[in-house]
Amino acid sequence: MKIKLELFGASRDFSEKNYLELEVQDKASINNLRDIIIQYLNKNFKGNKNFIKIVKSSAFCSENNQIISDNYKITKDQKIAIIPPIGGG
Amino acid sequence: MLHTKIVDSKKEKILILNAEKFISNSKFGASIYFLGSVRNINDNKKVTGITYDSHDEMVIKSFEEIYNEADQKLNIKDKSVFIEHAKGYLKLGETSIIIAVACKHRDQAYVLSRFIIEEIKKKSPIWKKEHYENDESVWLKGNPFINEKV
Repeated sequence: MKIKLELFGASRDFSEKNYLELEVQDKASINNLRDIIIQYLNKNFKGNKNFIKIVKSSAFCSENNQIISDNYKITKDQKIAIIPPIGGG
Repeated sequence: MLHTKIVDSKKEKILILNAEKFISNSKFGASIYFLGSVRNINDNKKVTGITYDSHDEMVIKSFEEIYNEADQKLNIKDKSVFIEHAKGYLKLGETSIIIAVACKHRDQAYVLSRFIIEEIKKKSPIWKKEHYENDESVWLKGNPFINEKV
């Protein structure tokens, strides 16, 4: 399955585009998705430690704007947003 | 009554006048305007501007949730609230956020205004990239997103 991972905040540095396209297995969890993003970062950014830290401390959000838990199972092609640590105001 | 908006800095500015128009009502005796703006120094570095990024739909949703939580947690039901947050590049001194509240009494207005900004810091997916005099730019660290429902 394909995930379109929308990038926000510090994670925008992961790509020149606003998103990443990632292959995941059926019923992959958000924890599995984290591992896949880290594999991408290892390959493309020599395992940039700051980037990996961002992934580990991020939440994830579904296309209907719900925060999804680490155990959420991905069962279809979909858009997911990565929500790095926040700080507006 | 609630007004919320993400203001794209390329197209428009946050204006206090709009907030005044929205919250003005003779049934409220107390109004507070909180404005956040871009500061020139952070962590001993000279800041030239900030780029704000936001997950617009989630931010608006969080503003609505915060407004509703004020009913339950603060028991302030009768109120008018105007929240706008900027998105995009802002220069020094430009307004990044406005929270205007109107309540019957001043105690409620002070508490509500403070409650809203503190909750936004914890719950609204907004990010800042600071720009410095030496042309460097850094995304600020931020705090992990808190969602009480997960």
